[in-house]
Amino acid sequence: MPMLRTVAVVAGAALLTRRALRRRVRTSPLWPLPALDPPVSGRPRARALRLLLTAHETIADGVVRLRLEGDGLPRWTPGAHLDLVLPSGLVRQYSLCGDPGDTSSYTIAARLVEDGRGGSREVHEQLTEGMELEVRGPRNRFPLAEAQSYVFVAGGIGITPVLPMLRALPAHAEWRLLYCGRTRASMPFLAELGELAGDRLTVVAEDEEGRPDLDALFADVTAGTAVYCCGPGGLMDAVAERMPEGAALHLERFAPGAPADGDAAFEVELRRTGRTVAVPAGTSVLAAVRRELPDLAYSCEQGFCGTCQQRVLAGEVEHRDELLTDAERADSMLICVSRARGGRLVLDL
Amino acid sequence: MESERVPLKARNVSFSWEDTPLHWVPGDPFTTHTINVLHLLLPAGERWFVHVYKQALPLIEDERLRADVIGFIGQEAVHSQSHDEVLPHLREQGLDPTPYTAQVDWFFEKLLGDRTLPPGRARRWWLLERVALIAAIEHYTAFLGDWVLGAAELDRRGADPTMLDLLRWHGAEEVEHRSVAFDLFQHLDGSYRRRARTWATAFTALVFLWQRGVRFFMENDPTLTAPKYSVKDFHDRGRQGVLPSTGAMLRSIPRYLGRGYHPSHEFSTAQAVAYLEASPAALAAERAEPSAREAA
Repeated sequence: MPMLRTVAVVAGAALLTRRALRRRVRTSPLWPLPALDPPVSGRPRARALRLLLTAHETIADGVVRLRLEGDGLPRWTPGAHLDLVLPSGLVRQYSLCGDPGDTSSYTIAARLVEDGRGGSREVHEQLTEGMELEVRGPRNRFPLAEAQSYVFVAGGIGITPVLPMLRALPAHAEWRLLYCGRTRASMPFLAELGELAGDRLTVVAEDEEGRPDLDALFADVTAGTAVYCCGPGGLMDAVAERMPEGAALHLERFAPGAPADGDAAFEVELRRTGRTVAVPAGTSVLAAVRRELPDLAYSCEQGFCGTCQQRVLAGEVEHRDELLTDAERADSMLICVSRARGGRLVLDL
Repeated sequence: MESERVPLKARNVSFSWEDTPLHWVPGDPFTTHTINVLHLLLPAGERWFVHVYKQALPLIEDERLRADVIGFIGQEAVHSQSHDEVLPHLREQGLDPTPYTAQVDWFFEKLLGDRTLPPGRARRWWLLERVALIAAIEHYTAFLGDWVLGAAELDRRGADPTMLDLLRWHGAEEVEHRSVAFDLFQHLDGSYRRRARTWATAFTALVFLWQRGVRFFMENDPTLTAPKYSVKDFHDRGRQGVLPSTGAMLRSIPRYLGRGYHPSHEFSTAQAVAYLEASPAALAAERAEPSAREAA
């Protein structure tokens, strides 16, 4: 029966081919298909809210608390911040420190930075009750994760994102808080923290006790502990040094838009082109990449038109635009304004 | 004849819509909705411009034109975002535009999107065809922009100032960059047959989409029980000056099809620039700009 044999051989060959191809397809770099270009339409900008400033009160030396009221405000989770658009057009980020369930108002606190870039001075001196302010957000880049136990380290105004976290922790959670500042009078929310934390709170004022003893705090931090730190850069570096293995460190910088040490230089690898370009301090990624790829599309160079959005394959991005949503920020950036947080970025270019 | 060159740059405007009523031309839903169709077509349409022009950018060999196209892209991207922000406001007032915008999205993303074409001649042909379509559409956006800048009757009827500012800021930028699309088409191809053919396609599509949008809004407006409207309404509003007049629209056709057409011979840059210097939204964007630079 040569006919039957032919059929059997053909069927067997077909089965083998299918198996062989399936494995190849799975290991092929072309599979899954690369992400398609983003759709041409359908991405509204982050919606701005116009809120009424109903309270502007001094709660500690150099710290004011603002209450912004509106209707049906989006809910937020502890650690979230708002972008506040000041009357001069400056945009500054402030952590929310009120009640996350309150949909009729947001509360933020701001410290006056004497030699800052003008945002905090405007908050302190130009804002008055009854003004209408534009805010964007809330967004959360400092979310509270599940952990066996928690250690919070707050420096000065860095207490603001931590406060709602403490209120949100379940009653049986195991946690401690180290709260440091220059003087007791300059540290907001001390009374409230005293009630909330009891003996889990350690307050260190520099003028009384000097620098906080971080080694003592970290003596019994073990794997499985989540450490949350928000404060000046020096404090956060000191905490990062003392982290034991297996514990998770979460940091929140005061000014996501502007690190104190200015723009750092870093490298950008263009994966598809196969080249790496250096981005010096003071030069945008766009400008550096355009030397290699002069036809790259861009336009406003200020982070609002969205033309230069590129996919990020690896590396941590410091987003400085006002356009992208959190979901988009997870895998792309506007290369005209945003920079690398580490020393290296890999772009799909 | 005007030929002065204005360097093009995107302005980071923002509008707040809380105080804008559903019928923002008081007591005239037909005019309101005829103009509202812009909010349905422009977000997808202008994003499509940006999408096509990003592909055309590497083909440009003239540095001045490239700078213009880069400015054009940013302006169109911000236009698209700004009109998109009106849609949630319409939805809040009970007029959900999603069924219609879904069709417009299909139109620009699928029908006019990137086809699976072999690189080379076929792909270039489709790109040039779309660049020519954009040039034809930009003739009409500049026409509408120039019209709305001079439409004093809308102010007299008490139309919503925020909406007028959006339309006039947008119109002024359209007039400001009216030559870019045509220059790009001339630079890349410039064939008269393609210009005529794509004009016919664009004009038909615009009329089709526009009347469909007006019908969609009128039929679904929750405050209108038995809406009545016809082509005559459009003609009458044109004579009153709250919509472009039929005559002016018909006269604009032979202009674009004339062999010696160039957008810089049409409309007034001075009127547009004057408006941009006084527009509340553009001024706010101007003021905010140094801070954006500082934050960057």
